[in-house]
Amino acid sequence: MQCTKCGNPKVIIKKEQSGQMLCKDCFIDSIEKKVIKTVKKEQLLDKGDKVLVALSGGKDSVTVLEILNSFRKRNIIDICAVTVDEGIDNYRQDGVDIAIRHAERLGIEHKVVSLKDTYGITLDEIMQKDNHKGSCTYCGVFRRTIINKAAREMGATKIATGHNLDDEVQAILMNYLEGNTNNLGKLGAKTESKAEEFTVKIKPLREIPEREIGLYVVAKELEVHFDSCPYAMQSFRGEVSQAINDLAENHPTIKYSTLRGYDKIKPLFKGEFKPNYSQGRCKRCGEPSSNELCKACSFLEELGV
Amino acid sequence: MSFKLKYKHIDEEREIPKENYSIKDLLDELELSSQTVVSKQNGELVIEDTIIENDDEIQLVQIIYGG
Repeated sequence: MQCTKCGNPKVIIKKEQSGQMLCKDCFIDSIEKKVIKTVKKEQLLDKGDKVLVALSGGKDSVTVLEILNSFRKRNIIDICAVTVDEGIDNYRQDGVDIAIRHAERLGIEHKVVSLKDTYGITLDEIMQKDNHKGSCTYCGVFRRTIINKAAREMGATKIATGHNLDDEVQAILMNYLEGNTNNLGKLGAKTESKAEEFTVKIKPLREIPEREIGLYVVAKELEVHFDSCPYAMQSFRGEVSQAINDLAENHPTIKYSTLRGYDKIKPLFKGEFKPNYSQGRCKRCGEPSSNELCKACSFLEELGV
Repeated sequence: MSFKLKYKHIDEEREIPKENYSIKDLLDELELSSQTVVSKQNGELVIEDTIIENDDEIQLVQIIYGG
């Protein structure tokens, strides 16, 4: 057994989807090249961009930061980062500390924004309420709002997130299974909003399987927060993820084909099923919103905050 | 014939139960999926087909958590 590329006998991965076997150095190189290829193919970056990395300290966001930093080293882009502290005891602080250390190591502008400081409530406190709608619902909306605001405050022209192949395929199938044609038009490598306050979002890791990102950070000895969110146990996403992984056992290319198929039909969703949003302002916070209240503020009102 | 297993808070000596006992066999025994962990043999990343030898230190790193 040896590396398909260089012949090194110390193989660290056997790719089921292609049969390729790679040693550590060739594997690291292959991941970095593939991300750079996605960046170029999807035109994710423009020279002079200031990219805000949504940096949780987990494997995906640390990988995005690490690889995008190669563009920064070549003076193509500038990078800054934001870490959202949702207020989850015995979980979030480790990730926050790791994010701070990465930002210091690379010498980039970084800020940590907490739900508590922004909205006066932590996710733990929300979960104590009787009328809560499930942690992921709030976490997703509040985090997105905080990251959007941080992008404006820091003068970022793009927001880079760590969404990987598994995340993207789960989102495609979840939205399809829920019949959510509005959201199906919004997925993809690069998403832009009509509202100019919403910074363009990019997903450089969209074609990298989650396991390979995990292997990449271990191979590169990058410090990351490997832990399970205590609230992540029983989400619909988890069930969909399990179903896809079960299928992938016997059909190793299924995640790639799902992504490719989606990319082909996405223009239809954007055309035929284009949502007819009116573009207004949230009466409570002033953020762009299609309703009287933006999603974050409607949750806050329901929670009595 | 034994090896040392390191996984989360586990740090223990284990018997090698049979010939050609691989990391994949160990993962099956621990009911872990090779999709969610990566394996190191004596500090170096290896694939799950790797045969565990006497006195090896096998470290499993969970890289994917559910949810």
